[in-house]
Amino acid sequence: DKPKLTSCRSPEKETFTCWWQPGHDGGLPTTYALYYLKDNSDTIYECPDYHTAGENSCFFNKNDTSVWVNYNITVVATNALGSNFSDPEDVDVAYIVQPHTPENVTVNVMEDKGWPFLRVSWESPHKADIRSGWITLIYELRVKLEGEEEWEEHHAGQQKMFNIFSIRSGSTYLVQVRCKPDHGFWSEWSSTTYVKVPEYFFRERSLWILVMIFSSFTLIILLWIVHMNSHSLKHCLLPPVPGPKIKGFDQQIFKNGRSDEILSALMVPNFPPTKSSNYEDLLVEYLEVYVSEEQELILEESKDSCLKSDSSTCDSDSGRGSCDSHTLLTDKCGEAKRERRASGEDSGMTIESQKGWEEEALSYTQEDVATPDVSSRRVKTWPSVFSTVPQYTTSPLDQKTSLELSKQHCLSDTLFPPGSSTKEVLGPNYWEFDLSNKQSHLPQPQTHGSQQLQAHSDVNISYTGNKQVPALLQLPGFKSTEYVEVQKVNQEDMVILQPVESDNCGRDEECPHVLQGEDYSKVKGVGSDNLLLLQSGVKARMGDEMEANGVSESCYTSSSFATTQKHIDSMHSATIPGQEEPIRATTGYVDTTTMFTLPMY
Amino acid sequence: MDSLVVLTVLTWFAVIALMYLKYSVMADAAPICSYGQATCHVPSLADLFDRVIQQSSRMHGISTDLHSEFDHYLPSKNFIGKQRCHTYAILTPDDKEKAQRLGREQLTEVILRLLMAWGDPLSQLHWSMSQDQNQDFNQYRSNKALEISDIVRELKDGVIKVAERMKRLGLNGNFVSYISPENVDPFSAISFYKRGELNSVDHQDLLYCFRRDSHKVKTYLRILKCSTFPTLDC
Repeated sequence: DKPKLTSCRSPEKETFTCWWQPGHDGGLPTTYALYYLKDNSDTIYECPDYHTAGENSCFFNKNDTSVWVNYNITVVATNALGSNFSDPEDVDVAYIVQPHTPENVTVNVMEDKGWPFLRVSWESPHKADIRSGWITLIYELRVKLEGEEEWEEHHAGQQKMFNIFSIRSGSTYLVQVRCKPDHGFWSEWSSTTYVKVPEYFFRERSLWILVMIFSSFTLIILLWIVHMNSHSLKHCLLPPVPGPKIKGFDQQIFKNGRSDEILSALMVPNFPPTKSSNYEDLLVEYLEVYVSEEQELILEESKDSCLKSDSSTCDSDSGRGSCDSHTLLTDKCGEAKRERRASGEDSGMTIESQKGWEEEALSYTQEDVATPDVSSRRVKTWPSVFSTVPQYTTSPLDQKTSLELSKQHCLSDTLFPPGSSTKEVLGPNYWEFDLSNKQSHLPQPQTHGSQQLQAHSDVNISYTGNKQVPALLQLPGFKSTEYVEVQKVNQEDMVILQPVESDNCGRDEECPHVLQGEDYSKVKGVGSDNLLLLQSGVKARMGDEMEANGVSESCYTSSSFATTQKHIDSMHSATIPGQEEPIRATTGYVDTTTMFTLPMY
Repeated sequence: MDSLVVLTVLTWFAVIALMYLKYSVMADAAPICSYGQATCHVPSLADLFDRVIQQSSRMHGISTDLHSEFDHYLPSKNFIGKQRCHTYAILTPDDKEKAQRLGREQLTEVILRLLMAWGDPLSQLHWSMSQDQNQDFNQYRSNKALEISDIVRELKDGVIKVAERMKRLGLNGNFVSYISPENVDPFSAISFYKRGELNSVDHQDLLYCFRRDSHKVKTYLRILKCSTFPTLDC
């Protein structure tokens, strides 16, 4: 088989060596010969030296080497079978230069302003004659960390020294160098030089300390900022779920269950506003109450209110009577509860307001709770309507507001009709009490000199859920069944109360609804001394109706209340202008409360 | 209005600055100053040598590129029994010792001869390449050929200047800058490579020869420099 000339190399452009690859010799001893022609002359020369460079090689020494001369080389293999010629190859020494590796590679660790760097220096291979300029070498070096895989290469040009700056303290580096003539082949990499960089611990540590301090400062500042803005951040990130609340009212108080706190909380500051206040201040939001048809809800609520009324025992405003009434109320509450349960579900309560109130869209139907003997309770209960009044004390109320307040009371009596619609019956009650100011809505004739009660401007009652009771409604023991309708207030600031009647009533002045039961006192008026004029009697009508349709009672106060004083002394009888009978609460008992004026229908 | 004026002034300043820089750069890159120009930066002999060596290195690089392109595509002719290159008559040292023995003057002369011998053939080569049908290859090649012929011309001038400087400095005593014309015969040079019009095959031969000669020139120049300035570079 043919031998093949594998390569020829010259390390310094003064000598060169060629190697060949012997072909398959078939096991026979074969001799090889190399012949060459120089630069297109006819003379054939044979390899001068087969041994210096090892097996299957031919070494051309200086005398035999001519640069820029084309050598046409052929290798001949000869054995017993014959000769075989390799393909001739053209070789020009000038282009096959591959130097030896650089020598004397030294690496030193040096310092530049506290930072270490490596200074690598080397020498050219000793055979390559750089000095005379016969060969020009360019160098390349590579560095890597001990244990790493990737080398970092650097080109060093013709210089014999190089600085490496990107090194780490405390690690060992491996460095290698190689060279190449400007047109030729790269040499092999030099043997590895190891260098250990001592710990420049001090330097690095100080830097780290600085970094840590700085970052901790930044962190502290950031935390501080976040802390300062935590509320706004919270609002931003986690917008609060709107919960029912009354402005200026702290539900926590009710949870605590302390009466004075509750009542004082119910006491709205600046309410009723003085006359001198701005008209704007008098504007109060409309009270919109939506009652769900679900009875239980209301019952629940009334129950709650009962309970709450329990907690608020004697308030400072009411006299002794109020205390008693409260206890009675409690009983009634309990009974009413039972009643409710007994009566089962019913359609929701609808409050039908009177004209003025119709626009409020109050509607709820109330179950008949009146069946049992609530008379006494009723009597006692309704005054409690006014028991809340003390909260809205001396200053006269605005017509509307008082209307609304009484509305509220009534409503609270019935518990709050769950807000929007009957649909929401079972669900959480969202009930919104908005005291809105719609003066136009209530075109009641102003009572004469009825004092204007100024309502607290924004009493915004809203709540969700069964158990929550808006503040206003936590009037002691308002039972859904019982209402007192304030019919009118006469000139002498007498509150004329009437029991609330069923919804059919659309009359302006009075829609007397008989509260169920036999006994109840109808407040006919309020005396000048802030006496409530009660009229006993009217009954049965309610009961009929109640039985008929399961009572829809609408609570509304048609008359205005005048509050000139905080409370009304309890009285058992009073004269009612325009009424024949003296009002007498037989078994009833009038709680004291404040009066407040409501516009007269 | 004011801003416009300011803008204009700034632009004007920028233009002035740029022009100044350009000229200053040009001054540095200006060719070797002729005698007596005081404002000119007169390069030293070492600088001259460096410049010349750079150019020769570049020349050799381009010639290698061109040659390698041809080498792939076309087989070489059989040159057994005849000369391949037209500069065969120029005796060049093929050994380090021989080159060192030659001396500066002769070495310079050899360099110049070679450079002169290649001036015309290269421009003819460029012309011939640009005529070629094969557009893709030849655009690149003809550009390179043009570049090479320019470099060779510049290099020749540079080497002459170096020689003159050396002579002035007393290093090049017997140097004769004038080369007799019969050594440089444009027509004979080209006719060496062709039998008629130069074609691609002829290009290859020509480039083969030129590559070799450029390598010679580069090497000789380095030897010349290192023998004159035995600095750390050498």
